[in-house]
Amino acid sequence: MSEGQGVVLLVEDNELNRDMLVRRLTRAGMALICAGDGETALQKMRDHKPALVLMDMNLPVKDGWTAVREARADMDISDIPIIALTAHAMDSDRNTALDAGCDEYATKPIDFPELLDKIQRLIR
Amino acid sequence: MRRPSTVSLRARLYLVSAAILTLFAVNVGTHVWGSFARSESLVAYRDAVNAAQLTADLEQSLDNQRQQVLVLATLRETTEEPLGDNERLTALKDLEIITTRLRRLGGLGNDGSEDYYRRLHDSATKLLILWRSFYDSYNNAEANLDVDSPRSYNDTQQRLQELDQRQAYLAVQRSNAIDRTISLTDRITVIGFVSSIIITMILVISLIRSTNASLQRLKTGVERFGSGDLTHRIDESRDAGEIRDLAHTFNDMSGKLEHAIDEVQNAKADADAANAAKSMFLANVSHELRTPLNAIIGYSEMLQDEIGDPGELNRQQLHHDLGTIILSGRQLLTLINEILDLSKIETGKMQISLDRFQPAALIVQVCDALSPLLSQKQNTLVLHIDSDTLPEMVTDQAKLQQIITNLFSNACKFTENGTISVSATEESNELVVVVADTGIGMSADQQNRVFEAFVQAEASTSVEYGGTGLGLAIVSEFCEMLGGQITVDSAVNEGSRFTVRLPLDLTSNRAGA
Repeated sequence: MSEGQGVVLLVEDNELNRDMLVRRLTRAGMALICAGDGETALQKMRDHKPALVLMDMNLPVKDGWTAVREARADMDISDIPIIALTAHAMDSDRNTALDAGCDEYATKPIDFPELLDKIQRLIR
Repeated sequence: MRRPSTVSLRARLYLVSAAILTLFAVNVGTHVWGSFARSESLVAYRDAVNAAQLTADLEQSLDNQRQQVLVLATLRETTEEPLGDNERLTALKDLEIITTRLRRLGGLGNDGSEDYYRRLHDSATKLLILWRSFYDSYNNAEANLDVDSPRSYNDTQQRLQELDQRQAYLAVQRSNAIDRTISLTDRITVIGFVSSIIITMILVISLIRSTNASLQRLKTGVERFGSGDLTHRIDESRDAGEIRDLAHTFNDMSGKLEHAIDEVQNAKADADAANAAKSMFLANVSHELRTPLNAIIGYSEMLQDEIGDPGELNRQQLHHDLGTIILSGRQLLTLINEILDLSKIETGKMQISLDRFQPAALIVQVCDALSPLLSQKQNTLVLHIDSDTLPEMVTDQAKLQQIITNLFSNACKFTENGTISVSATEESNELVVVVADTGIGMSADQQNRVFEAFVQAEASTSVEYGGTGLGLAIVSEFCEMLGGQITVDSAVNEGSRFTVRLPLDLTSNRAGA
């Protein structure tokens, strides 16, 4: 991973999971900013224009699905790729996330190499 | 609206048959009456002809005999030649013939001509006696024979005429009467025949129409039911007898079918709901298992990667990371145990084992064991338990212990820098345990769903406060199994208050139930 790819926004309310992903993605060479709920996530997307968003779907204040739909409706940030991270593993859950406007979908427990692969493909 | 026919089909057929047979009998009767009148008429005609013939014959015989007597009387005066035996016998025979004819005429007579005949008979008898004595005394020269007695002969002839007229008059009268009878019977026969045809047609048509209407009602009813209108019933009051029985039987069958279809549909709805619940349960289980597994696998992989890094491994960081892995593993184990418990409850395999114990001691013991949870979030415990007044209980001790444990750890989980109070009292043969906290509390909507499996006040609560969302579901199921109930009273940011009521003696409660 080379520098200068732009930052990745990680939206995750669980402290353990956030800590774990920050450490692993930083170690993989990414620059990260974090948000703990859907509302903050939207704000940070507008402020920082991240290269990609990793978003948990069960979030306080504003859940992930709503946040993704609002992001897709906002012209400024509508083209930022979003990868959904969720422990909901059924096909219907996957479709719900993709229908809301996510570009990719990763199921917890996270397969880290696969996640890196998906990030790589979505970042220009 | 036509009044509905309530006569049974069989009765209708009998009625129509009886009516047709009666009409037929009337027709036959009038016909027989007419035939009888016709034969009567023939007999009367023959009698009249016979009487006329006899009268004419008798008149002729009387005339002949008088001529003969007058001739013989003249001969006797002039020739004095005696009368031969043969001639006398022939003459007497002629007289005999006249007598016979007279008698036969009498036989043809009736009430109306009796007087006339008697008068004829009287004068004729006199005339015949006169004539007989003439023949008998013809050869006796001394006898003075007065044969020229026109009065007697004329009387007889006149009376014969009178009788003849009388008989002719009576014959005309009788024939008129018979003619009237014949024309009457003819009229009755024609009217009866025509009206029979009309009445029979009306009866048959109405029979066909009423029967057809009944069958049509049945057909319509069966068709409506068959096309899915399961509540449709045939109106039984509009028929009687077999058709009403048939309608009744059909309605019976419809009722049973409707009931059966309802049951099948209910069973299907239940099965669908159970299926949906199972799918939802599976999806939830999957979700709940994945959350701690994410931390376990993620941290383990991360540590594995970091071990390979050059430089000193931060021991404090490593300790913390391993702690995280262990905590998540424990959480996973708790979750699996709770899922197994719920599954046992749902399949009815959860057993109740009865113990006799002191509830006060049990509650104090649980609170002691869980006291480390209090200090984690700087909470204080207030116990209101009077072990002297609380009686012994006969129920499942392990389940009561788990109920208290779950409620207590929940209270600790959702409260920070607050107070957890636990009280136990006895109220009308029930143990009442109240676990109250001063924590985050719940809205009314959250309270309504808090005892459902996998429901926490908010989806995110699980991440923030841990727990599986199964604890309260198990508590609620256990309370029900032990013959009691659990209620919650709460408000957002003002804490929650769970009240458990359990019968002191489960055996007596069961016996009373």
